Amino acid sequence: MVGWTHPVWGAPITFNTALPVAEGEFIAREQLILNQSGHDPGLLQRDRRAVTAVSVLGYGVIPRLAVFGVLPYHNVELNVTPINQRQSRHGRGFGDLTVIGRYSLVQQHGRGRNFSIAPFLGIKVPTGDDDQRDDLGRQPPAIQLGTGSWDPLVGVVSTYSTLNYQLDGQLSYQTNNAANGFERGNVARADVSLQKRLWPRSLGSGAPAFIYGVFEVNLMYQQRNRIQGSPDPDSGGTRLFLTPGIQYVTQRWIGEAAVQIPVRQNLNRDTLENDYIARFSIRFNF
Amino acid sequence: MKKTIVIALLMLAWQLPVFAAASQYQIRVDGLTCPFCAYGIEKQLSSIEGVVSTQVNVKQGMVIVTMADGTTLNEEIARDKINKAGFSLRSMQPVEPGERIAAER
Repeated sequence: MVGWTHPVWGAPITFNTALPVAEGEFIAREQLILNQSGHDPGLLQRDRRAVTAVSVLGYGVIPRLAVFGVLPYHNVELNVTPINQRQSRHGRGFGDLTVIGRYSLVQQHGRGRNFSIAPFLGIKVPTGDDDQRDDLGRQPPAIQLGTGSWDPLVGVVSTYSTLNYQLDGQLSYQTNNAANGFERGNVARADVSLQKRLWPRSLGSGAPAFIYGVFEVNLMYQQRNRIQGSPDPDSGGTRLFLTPGIQYVTQRWIGEAAVQIPVRQNLNRDTLENDYIARFSIRFNF
Repeated sequence: MKKTIVIALLMLAWQLPVFAAASQYQIRVDGLTCPFCAYGIEKQLSSIEGVVSTQVNVKQGMVIVTMADGTTLNEEIARDKINKAGFSLRSMQPVEPGERIAAER
């Protein structure tokens, strides 16, 4: 029924893979994600609310190679009304760890501008609890903290930046494997982010703080989930988000916020729709 | 007379290291586009022995490196450090004594 996965890795604000990391440098990002899904096309009056704190740590191995670890902490609540009685299920704890390696194949630098293309590979490791239970028995996959499966992902990210703006684009594909008789649908994503310097309007000397206005577009397609090998008709589909945001950028840290607004959801049958996804994060280098 | 010349030469030789070793360098960096990126350059250049301070100018794509007295900055070492930061060294030149910028500590 509800089995879509939301990305917890990626940069500008909604994706982490474009985060810049120098050799021998660390970058850390802590992001709070509020994910509200309450528009139920079916009869169960489902309402899902997830508050996730995502910790990202990146390290520059060499100038062209960076590795990232992404670990979410979930607090998920699912309310349903199966037979005239409202049920509430909760899940809280660390989810699955995702490890990603990114290598810059193309790097071009000019005065006040740069361009890069970097493929990346990653693996989601089943570190989260995938067998949570409560008084009603085993909890549904929508609120399990982990999937129990090792899931590889692949993609490419590209960045073009100048003193006035930055444009990032990412394509990615994650294969989700079966565990506990359940297999989430594979996910394909396309993300674009534009960051435009709003302040200062003209640059002076030094390295002043910037304020960027941000606009991102997130397109996600998920295949149907499989339960005991059979496709779940109430899962999968395509979602398109428009995401306005803002960033405050200094030499050592960045504060940012964005809200993903679903403008189009072409989902299969009774798949639960998103209301919105809000993101607040801070990142710093050391 | 000879004694006077020798003394003068010795005094000049004692002063030469001070004049020969520029205490500031202006480095042009390609690829620098935001303040968050500047930290990596500062960290890498600051790891070079003799570097007292670094000042980044994002708009100019420039870094001013201040060295300790009597030390010099090797361009190949600076190039390597800037590459490690993820950028490219476009040019490097010493700052004339009369044009030096006060180092920020």
